[in-house]
Amino acid sequence: MSQSLRPYLKCVRSSLTAAITLSNFASQTAERHNVPEVESGKTPEVLLNPLTVSRNENERVLIEPSVNSIRISIKIKQADEIEHILVHKFTRFLTQRAENFLILRRKPVKGYDISFLITNFHTEAMLKNKLVDFIIHFMEEVDKEISEMKLFLNARARFVAEAFLTPFD
Amino acid sequence: MTMPVTNYRLIDIDALDPESAFPAELLTPQFTPVSTPEIQTLVGNCRQQLQRGDQEGALVAALEGVPYGGDEQGKDLHLQTVLEILSSIKAVEMSPILSRLYTGPAGTELLDVLMKYLYKGMARHNTPATPAISQHATGVSTGTTAREFGVAPGRGDGGGMSVLLSWHEKVVEIAGEGAIVRVMTDRRVV
Repeated sequence: MSQSLRPYLKCVRSSLTAAITLSNFASQTAERHNVPEVESGKTPEVLLNPLTVSRNENERVLIEPSVNSIRISIKIKQADEIEHILVHKFTRFLTQRAENFLILRRKPVKGYDISFLITNFHTEAMLKNKLVDFIIHFMEEVDKEISEMKLFLNARARFVAEAFLTPFD
Repeated sequence: MTMPVTNYRLIDIDALDPESAFPAELLTPQFTPVSTPEIQTLVGNCRQQLQRGDQEGALVAALEGVPYGGDEQGKDLHLQTVLEILSSIKAVEMSPILSRLYTGPAGTELLDVLMKYLYKGMARHNTPATPAISQHATGVSTGTTAREFGVAPGRGDGGGMSVLLSWHEKVVEIAGEGAIVRVMTDRRVV
């Protein structure tokens, strides 16, 4: 792991551990409803101050806590246009399968690439430290995955270009 | 007969009910307003201490004089000063200074305030003025964004984020995760 990635992930880990303290909270505006307060935003008194953890201008995590839900948005590193396309395709692939990921939000928050929404029902069904581990693991893997895909893409492009240009040699 | 322009089913009628509105003054506590010149004098004092080599004194002075009642400009000025002090302290001195602060009379409060500034410092770049990557990523880059493929742009140290991250790590080590919880729940934002 690179030198600057470790403190970044450590900071995200402690922030998440502190933020995922959720309890059941029925909606105060609609009777017999129980909605993630961070999404509805109708009850300002149960929304907490959002936290931002950033590694540099292009890589950051936004944590929006509330009484019964927490929204985590990740901006993945995109150094150039190829990585931008790859990240877009990759997150699209994941969000289209959001049903199977349970905590994945179908649409990222504006300005970020992928968002997770953890509610008190998730923390009741799953272990909190495993949820935090999952997010950290995801952040570790996604960088690796994107740079690997980029290498493959470049290698393939070079091969194709060579094959295409051999007859003219 | 005229058709209504807005879809009445989408009107949030609860928002129009004065009974349901949560009083704003309960959410944001009232502070005596701090004028920008007052903050400037405090900042000047901190700078002087910094120049004398008393980084710890400067840090304590800056954290004790938090301008909760200041306007955006004053708060930004104060944030810049705190970040300046933080980046002037060497990595080996972080833990001893924090331990001394924490064992002092107002220790928890000071470290909580420091934590608020760390998060605020990291949130500085949340509103990027210009996107670094062209919107239509077709491979044909236009104008100023033109650059060689496969060449990463200059990374630098990320605007001093690594300093803030290592400070964050040290504060959590000493004050625990409770400091983060207090940053989230405290309505007194820096």
